[in-house]
Amino acid sequence: MGTPGGAPADQLSFEGALERLEAIVDRLEDGELGLEAALAAFEEGVALSRRLAGELDTAERRIEILVQTGEGTGAEPFDPPDEPDD
Amino acid sequence: MEDLSGEIARPPRPLTVSELVGGVRELLEEELGRVQVVGEVSNLFRAASGHSYFTLKDDRAQIKAALFRGSAARIPFDLEEGLEFVVHGEVTLYVQRGDLQIIVRRLEPVGQGALQLAFEQMRERLAAEGLFDATRKRGIPAFPRRVGVVTSPAGAAVRDVVRVSGDRFPATPLLVSPTRVQGDGAEDEIARALARLERIDDIDVILLVRGGGSLEDLWAFNTERVARAIHACPIPVVSGVGHETDVTIADLVADARAATPSAAAMLALPDGDAWRDQVEGLAGRLRRGLAGGLERGRQRLATARARLHAHAPAARLAVDRSRFDAAERALRRLAAAALADRSGRSVQLHARLARAAAGVVPPRRSRRDQLDDRLRRAGPLAVWLRRQRLSEAVARLDALSPLGVLSRGYAIARGPDGRVLHRAQELAPGDSVRVRLSEGEFEAEVTGTVPAPTGGPDRSRR
Repeated sequence: MGTPGGAPADQLSFEGALERLEAIVDRLEDGELGLEAALAAFEEGVALSRRLAGELDTAERRIEILVQTGEGTGAEPFDPPDEPDD
Repeated sequence: MEDLSGEIARPPRPLTVSELVGGVRELLEEELGRVQVVGEVSNLFRAASGHSYFTLKDDRAQIKAALFRGSAARIPFDLEEGLEFVVHGEVTLYVQRGDLQIIVRRLEPVGQGALQLAFEQMRERLAAEGLFDATRKRGIPAFPRRVGVVTSPAGAAVRDVVRVSGDRFPATPLLVSPTRVQGDGAEDEIARALARLERIDDIDVILLVRGGGSLEDLWAFNTERVARAIHACPIPVVSGVGHETDVTIADLVADARAATPSAAAMLALPDGDAWRDQVEGLAGRLRRGLAGGLERGRQRLATARARLHAHAPAARLAVDRSRFDAAERALRRLAAAALADRSGRSVQLHARLARAAAGVVPPRRSRRDQLDDRLRRAGPLAVWLRRQRLSEAVARLDALSPLGVLSRGYAIARGPDGRVLHRAQELAPGDSVRVRLSEGEFEAEVTGTVPAPTGGPDRSRR
């Protein structure tokens, strides 16, 4: 189940946060936690589910294209043209 | 006049072999020129020079043929024994050996296109090497941190990928590695575009995509160069080239194959809608899990209390119980008083009762006064007693309330995590505590603690 209270919610990857939330729900449902621990687990679970929902509902996108610059290869924002060329 | 009779009468001198063969050769080249011949290839020999020599035959005759390196470079397929071809070339005589031969300039397979033959040959060769083996295909990660896209920056494929990935899971970033996707040298560009993505750390899957086109348009994706570049790529590759029915070598080598660029994006990105349902489900279970835990906690407390009642010393129990009972009675009386006064003006009534008890008669004629008169008639003593008991009950209730305790000078201290403190040993120097007084709160930093003396009764309540 991993160490209790691992990385904070925003440092975990989406997958990591999901796994942590599943682990917390399992522990709460097992019913073995004392009240203090249950409340702490619940709080962490709420933070995780909010972060996951936030990422799922985001409207922001990050789309870039590799370009050759003076110093080598870099990435620039990319917006595909509307009309196809081929 | 010359005597021609001698020339005519005399038989011509014998030709040398060179003259004969050379003459025949000239005749062939002038009279026959370019020919197209259909026949089967056999006796194929590929020299180290790059030239190929073979026999072109049908069931009754055959002719030697040569395909020089320069002409061979212009065809996409390899010569293959047993296959039929239409050969374009010049018939000539190789004088040193006296061999009739056809110098092949151009040739096409019979029964299938040149590119199709090349595709089949490439497929067999790479399959034999194991490039298409299912066992070497890697899985596509469930939540790629970033998706690389090798494609033309101006084509329909990249628009499709951007759109579909936005519908599916917009939070995943995309990085396009641009390349030409058809024409001479496109296969080299594609291989380089793949290699550029390999150096980037957070790209977990690559889409190799291109829109629909003819077999010629798609040809770069059937080349050995692209096939080996995909094979060598350390990041899983999903190919989506052409329309549904197009299959390219790239599709066969890739770790996963999609029918179109849109399908490739669907494969690579997680299903946001499905995960949203999953997260909502987990949030619901979280809430119910806590509620269940609280309920179990309450039950355990009730059980523990019941057991305590069964086993604890009677005297201590009596004290606990009497305090509990007193509070309960006070509450009941307050409730009764509130209920008895249906108009809800129990405070005013209290005041009037007090005045009536002191003998003061307010000279007014309202319904309130009628009520007052009636109460007065009920007896000032009875009223006074009632008022007394009410204020007594309120005072006792107040004494039991934690806030009432504050007014006597006690304070409530909470630790760094917000919980009420009972034991000094829960704290360490440097901890910040928040203390609530009768009026207001303050924050303090612990400089030291003194543990409770051992052997005394533990007054902490949980």
